[in-house]
This record gives sequence, structure tokens and C-alpha cells, in this order.
Amino acid sequence: MTDVTKGPDGAAETAVEAQPAVSGGARGDEETVPIALNVARTLGRRLLELLVLLIGISTLLFFLLRLTGDPAAVLAGETGDQEQLELIRKQYGMDKPLIVQYGVFLSQVVVLDFGRSLANAQDALGLVFERLPTSFTLVIIAFTANLAFSIPLGAWLGSRPDRQTRKLVATGVFIAQGIPGYITGLVLIQIFAVELRWLPSIGNQGPASWIMPALTLASFQAPHVIRVISANVSEAMREDFIRTARANGAGFNTLLWRHALKNAMLGATALIGTQVAFLLSGSIITEVIFAWPGLGRLLVTSVQTLDFPVVQAAVFCIAIFVFIAITATDIVFLFIDPRLRRQRA
Amino acid sequence: MTDATAAKSQAGFKEKRRIGTGSTQLNLGLVIFSMIIIALIIQGLFIPSSALDGELTVRLKPPGMTSNGFHLFGTDQLGRDLFFRVMGGLPWSLGIAGLATCILATIGTLVGLVGAWYENFIRTTVLLTISTFIAFPFLVLALVMVAVIGRGFWPITLTLGIIAWPVVARVIYAEGRGILQREYVLAAKLFGVSKWSILFVHVLPGIRPTILVMAAFLFAVMLIIESALSFLGLGAPLNAPSWGNMLSDSRQYLINAPWMMFVPAGAIVSAVISLNLISDGVAEISRMRARAVEI
Repeated sequence: MTDVTKGPDGAAETAVEAQPAVSGGARGDEETVPIALNVARTLGRRLLELLVLLIGISTLLFFLLRLTGDPAAVLAGETGDQEQLELIRKQYGMDKPLIVQYGVFLSQVVVLDFGRSLANAQDALGLVFERLPTSFTLVIIAFTANLAFSIPLGAWLGSRPDRQTRKLVATGVFIAQGIPGYITGLVLIQIFAVELRWLPSIGNQGPASWIMPALTLASFQAPHVIRVISANVSEAMREDFIRTARANGAGFNTLLWRHALKNAMLGATALIGTQVAFLLSGSIITEVIFAWPGLGRLLVTSVQTLDFPVVQAAVFCIAIFVFIAITATDIVFLFIDPRLRRQRA
Repeated sequence: MTDATAAKSQAGFKEKRRIGTGSTQLNLGLVIFSMIIIALIIQGLFIPSSALDGELTVRLKPPGMTSNGFHLFGTDQLGRDLFFRVMGGLPWSLGIAGLATCILATIGTLVGLVGAWYENFIRTTVLLTISTFIAFPFLVLALVMVAVIGRGFWPITLTLGIIAWPVVARVIYAEGRGILQREYVLAAKLFGVSKWSILFVHVLPGIRPTILVMAAFLFAVMLIIESALSFLGLGAPLNAPSWGNMLSDSRQYLINAPWMMFVPAGAIVSAVISLNLISDGVAEISRMRARAVEI
């Protein structure tokens, strides 16, 4: 049985990823395949996945849109009459058969031409790119803060899980895991903006305004990371190599921070990769709560106003970034952890 | 929950007397969750829909007595009683999340088992589909789908059920493959038992605890996503008493009426925590049983 304390997704990922290494039965002393081949294989597989995802999503969007409503009617708005509808259909090629429209649509998507925003006729992809830096600022601050806080705390919790204080903190972490980020955000506003008036609650106005959104975004994932690291560390502390190191006279701190944590981090591979996906979903809500002018807020407003070119451009961007992040983690860990490399060509 | 009771009867190897299921976490989670279910039943049977109507003379009143009677949790910006409103949100939030979990657990289990059984292109396709869609943020897909197919109870339920199954499929696939390599499966194959019988009669019981753990965990996740969608104004219809809608309303009144935020927030957090407790508790019990078998 997989270790379910890791949380279903973490456990799942390790189980599947570890499969080839285990079934290959190689112990590292056999002749290994050059690492470049492993990297190339990972890249190829991820690119294929990305392609499937992008085609899947755009096809789904295209047909659902055509099936559930008349896009021309959306474009014309409530005041549009029959004549305008015809004109719009002709202008956007909607008078042609569905399959032809689909072909035209796909050929435009391939060259990343999503058309113009229906709201203000700006280039959809340009609008998305404009928002990217602000979103990235938030995501990077939150991710760094999260890891800087969660890894030490997780290691501390996992090193002696039976002590009373740590049990108490672990309970706190468990409760924190049950609090969705949007509630954390609202509570933070209530405390620091409404009651204490220390921090601004809206927009991007310099470092002081970064604190609450970054805390909110980090709170989406910190409890999960802490729990996984803590479970992995407490497992690693029981391993034979720790006993050997202790017999060799290593102090407790060296054991924990140099030996156990290192191994625990390898176990958390999968988690850190999937965290990027969580970060992006989390940033959508965070950006809406704090009126942060980023990609997530753009996505929500364009979904609300049915501005599909922008929605599509934003979804493509998010998909591409998620896959870049996952592929990067894959490759980094190929270099760090030899067990992940395929031995057979 | 039958699994938990089975665990109790089988786990006689421990001498300590236990109350309930043998896992404190599971006990606590089940107690909180049953209270929520009882509230849901009471809401459905005894609370008239007129209780959700507002009375504008008692807008934004804190918990306590008002000219319009007693309000346990206070009133909102339209003078609606927040106690009845949070109760009215139960069918929305729990209903959508629960049904979506049923859908995604069924699809995920089926796909995972099928992927584990075949060793040809079907497995490759299943694995590719899983790893493609598992990485993509649920919320983004849900936002886009809801925007296209519309709001309301069923569209959201179906959307959530359809997008989240790869998480289940991936775990079931890994566990299913492990079980398919056991001797008793080989024996069943040699006896000529059909593929579906092997999967559903011989493999499925082995992965039931895992399905339960994942279902409880994902129930909580779906609850959070459903509320997030409503919070963003893209979930339940605007007047529906969904918890996400209530949170979204509260944003404008944080200064004058903070209870408007704390009431739905408390509801969401207690439901999510009870489900997480159940998920962790079942995992703990199945680990204990596995260890007992090894000994």
C-alpha cells in the first residue's frame, strides 16, 4: 500500500514515477544510458503531453462554444439586430461549415494567433503578456516564502514527531490545511487592513502591498508541503544510513539537516512540481481578492465578460508555464537522483 | 464507512479498549461530518424556503435579538438571517461537491483499472491522458468550462466531476498494477475468470481503502473549488445561498459586519476539516491493518 500520509497526489506521483526504476531492477553498477538521452526522453514526453493538452482544450472550447450558443450573438451584444448578426458572421467566417471553421481556428492557434479581445480590440496575447510580470512577482515571492518557511518547519516536526510541542504544532498545521486560501486572505484583510490599518489591501503599490497577497498565496500550499516534508523526514530518520551516521558520531543537527532532510527532499520531488499548478490556481483567487493586476484577474474578468480570445490566450499561457515548470523539475531531479534515470535504452 | 467498522472488528490485536473506529482522527471526523449531514436533513425537512427571505429593517445586525426576532448568526446586507442562509447553503455546497466526487471516483477507478489491466496502447493512452490533465490547474479548467456551459447546480457538478478524475486514476492505476501481480490474481486468471470479474471481484476490494481515502480528500477539494467558483462570481447563481456566494457578499462589509465573513468561513472550514480527518483516519487504519498482516 502506498504511504497515504503523503497526500493522494504526492503518493501517486512517486508510485508511478518510481515504477521504471524498480522494474528495471538496475542497481547502478550496470552500464547506464547517458543522461542526455534521459533528458531528451523527458523533454519529448512532456512536449507530447503539452501538445495533447493544448489541442484538447482548444477543441473542447471551440465545440462547446458553438454547441451551447451563438458566438455572433455574444459579439453583437443585446442591441444587435439581424443585419448586424449577418455582418459579424461574415466578418468572423462563421457562415462557413463548422469543420472549416475548426480548421481555420486550429491553424490560427498553432501560430498563437488568438485574435483580438472582444472588449477593447487589443491583441489578446499582448494583453496576457502585459499582465505576466505582475503575476510572476507574486508567485515567486509566495513560492520562496513558502519553501523558506515550510522546509525547516517540516524537518523540525519530522525529526521528533512524538514530542508534545510538535504534536501540537502538527495539529495546527492539519487545521491550517483545512482553511482555503480565500478565507485566509479575507481574515488577513480583516486584521491588517481593517482593524490595524497597517497594510494596503488593494493593488500593487510597492513592497508593503505584496505582503498580504504573498502570505495568502503561500497559505494555499504551505500546510501540504510541511506535512509531506515532515512525513518524509521522520521516515528517513529511521533508515539504516542514519543509524550508521549516528554510530560514526554525527550530531543530531548534522543528521537531521544534512542527511535526513536531503533524502526527504528527494521524496518530495513530485510535490514541488505539482505545486506550480496549485500556485497558479491559488494566484487567480488571490489576485481577485487583493485586486492584483495580474494574469489571474484578467482570466476571471474575461471569463465573466465572455471575452473568449483572451480566455484562450490566458489558458494557453498557463498551460505552457505549468509544463515548463514540471519539465524543469523533472530534469533537475534526473541530475540529482540517479534512481529516476531509465537504465534500459 | 462500513470499511471502518470492519477495521474495528478485525483489529482485535490491540489490547487497548477503543471507542468507535480505532482512529481518533476518524472518530472526530465522522462526528463532525454526521452533524453536518444531520443539519442537511433538518434543513431539507423542516426549514421553509421563506426563512431565506430578507427583512430590510434589520440589515447587517450582529448575532442576537433584533426587532425581527432572534438571529443566531446575525443578518446580511439584505437583512437575511445568516443561520438559515448557511443552512440553505448545505445542499448547494455539499450536494455539488459530493456528487462531483462520486462522478470523479467512478471515472477515475474505471480508467485506472483499465490502464492497469492492459499492457498495450490502451495503457499508453491512459497514462498519457492522466499525466497530461493531472498537471493542469483544476480551477482554470473549471472556470473556462463553467463560462462556456453556464452556471447552476448540474453544470458545476458535471464540470468538477469530469476534470478531477485523473488524480484518482493515477493512484488506482499504481495500486491496481501492484495487486495484479499477486499470486491470487494469477490463480484467478488460470481458472479462466474473466477480465472484468478479476478487476471488480478480486482487485477492487484491495483498493477500496485507497478509494475511500481519496474520495474523502477530494470531497474536501471539490468543496473548496465549488466555493471558490461562487466566490469569483462564476459558480452558483447570484441569489443562491451557496457558501462561496456568502463569502463574496461579505467582502464589501468587512468593516461593518465581519460576522458575514466568519459564518460561511466557519461552515467551509469545519466541513473541509471533518473530511480531511476522515481521509487521514481511514489511511491510518488501513496502514495499521497492513502492518498487522505483516506481523
